[in-house]
Amino acid sequence: MAVRTVVVGGGAAGIGAAGAFKGANPGGEVIVYTEFEDAAYSPCGIPYVHGKEIIDFQSLFLATKEQYANQGIDIHYETTVTGLDFANRRIRVEGEGEVAYDRLIVATGFNYADPGVPGGDLEGLYYVKNIRQAMEWDKTLDNTKVAVIIEATPLGMEMIEAMIHRGIEVHVVDTRPWAMSDLADPDIVEPVQKTWTEAGVHMHYGVKLEGFVGEGKIRAVKTSEGEIPCDLAVICTKKVPNNELGARAGLKTGPTGGIIVNKRMETNIAGVYAAGDVAEIPLGVTNVGVQGLTGSHAYSQGKVAGINAGGGHREYQPVYIPWGMVAGKWMIGGVNFGETAATALGIPFVMGVAQGISRARYFPGMKPIKVKLLAEPKSLRLIGAQMVGGEGIKERADFLAMAVKTGITLEDLAYMENVYSPPIGALNEPIALAAQNGLSKVKR
Amino acid sequence: MAGLSAFPTWLRVNAEKYLLITAQRRVAKANDLAAPLPALDAKGKFFTKVFAPIYRILPWSLRSKVLQLMPGSHRQQWSPRERKPNGPAV
Repeated sequence: MAVRTVVVGGGAAGIGAAGAFKGANPGGEVIVYTEFEDAAYSPCGIPYVHGKEIIDFQSLFLATKEQYANQGIDIHYETTVTGLDFANRRIRVEGEGEVAYDRLIVATGFNYADPGVPGGDLEGLYYVKNIRQAMEWDKTLDNTKVAVIIEATPLGMEMIEAMIHRGIEVHVVDTRPWAMSDLADPDIVEPVQKTWTEAGVHMHYGVKLEGFVGEGKIRAVKTSEGEIPCDLAVICTKKVPNNELGARAGLKTGPTGGIIVNKRMETNIAGVYAAGDVAEIPLGVTNVGVQGLTGSHAYSQGKVAGINAGGGHREYQPVYIPWGMVAGKWMIGGVNFGETAATALGIPFVMGVAQGISRARYFPGMKPIKVKLLAEPKSLRLIGAQMVGGEGIKERADFLAMAVKTGITLEDLAYMENVYSPPIGALNEPIALAAQNGLSKVKR
Repeated sequence: MAGLSAFPTWLRVNAEKYLLITAQRRVAKANDLAAPLPALDAKGKFFTKVFAPIYRILPWSLRSKVLQLMPGSHRQQWSPRERKPNGPAV
């Protein structure tokens, strides 16, 4: 008899899991439940459609509904799962009753943290998540003159860019002292904020959100420094795990609120897996759980869960979190954490910083690249990195994540080989320069 | 919420938040930037005035041991692939 796997959630983790399950077990049955009208699109692309850099929302879909059906993935759209019954291996589905499963994959994703201020029920508060709603909001943006971004998180930064591209006056309100300050160091973000200033962005840092003001519809954002009149507020608060369904049924959650999983993405209940933003994964450098990573992490975790649910064997590994994005005229990125987060955690580190270039100094289009490397003081093993530059950030972040993962030291990096080709790489690799700078601070 | 680890979650969320605020304050000062808002409520004062200074004076080895004792995915079975090249690959 065919194994039936039920997947709750149709995002990157859920669809990754369903496809991987079918790959591992072609004769198996897989059903995906999603509350939304669509599955498997790129929500990360929504800000770029708003910014008119991507021509339409249709481009964000990975496949059509027919293609999933042809692959044998039975997706139930706009369908809410209301309960999980592990003892009887059944789930409760609104409008369908009880549905039996042999394997269950919980991929319920995230919610934005509640801003927790008055006026949260007003019209004009935009939570970027659902593509159908984004299509409607996109029409609203045509008539929006002033928008306020609530918190300069990675999504907040993308939405600031979208508003700039759209010609909308944009304000950002954040209690923290600079953009993305939970992740990025101030010297990394400073060039970005300079381009925002040039673009007319009003940055309100160290300012508390006190409420949303209006009569039915938002008229202003109330802050500790007064009211900001606006047509729209985009809520870009931290992603918190949407764990309610799983936790209520008895899945154990860790300190991050994410569901506890092992390397096979198995939970504390036999035959039940969790993947994506709802799961907690250990950070390789500290062996402390983290949650709310990227779409690529969610997709990979989903595939691991799906393969294992299908009878195969695949292991996920602790994460090192390479990240990167375009912001203003710059690209920023890094691995794990920077100076600020390491200071917060109280992790001892030695730091090497260098300003390099992306191509030969004489080659047209050459851009500056700043690299900061953090290493463990005794072994000099790399533990984190931050970068800002005009190009070549993503590739370096990916490389440095592997460097951290494999135990590469500042000494290894200081004398690394590098591509030297005038149109694509300079004689001196900025990573090597930063490592040499770090080594010079250490008496060995 | 039978599955929720209430106290570890409360501790993690608040420790993370306020340790970051104290670090941001320090880094902001060093970079001549506006500081984050001071914590005015009782919880914020406790974490910034009591918890953070105590956390800061403890050695990392001790802090790390405490963190490892917390429940979470890190206490499950994982296989980190740390490897060093050992001679020529072929």
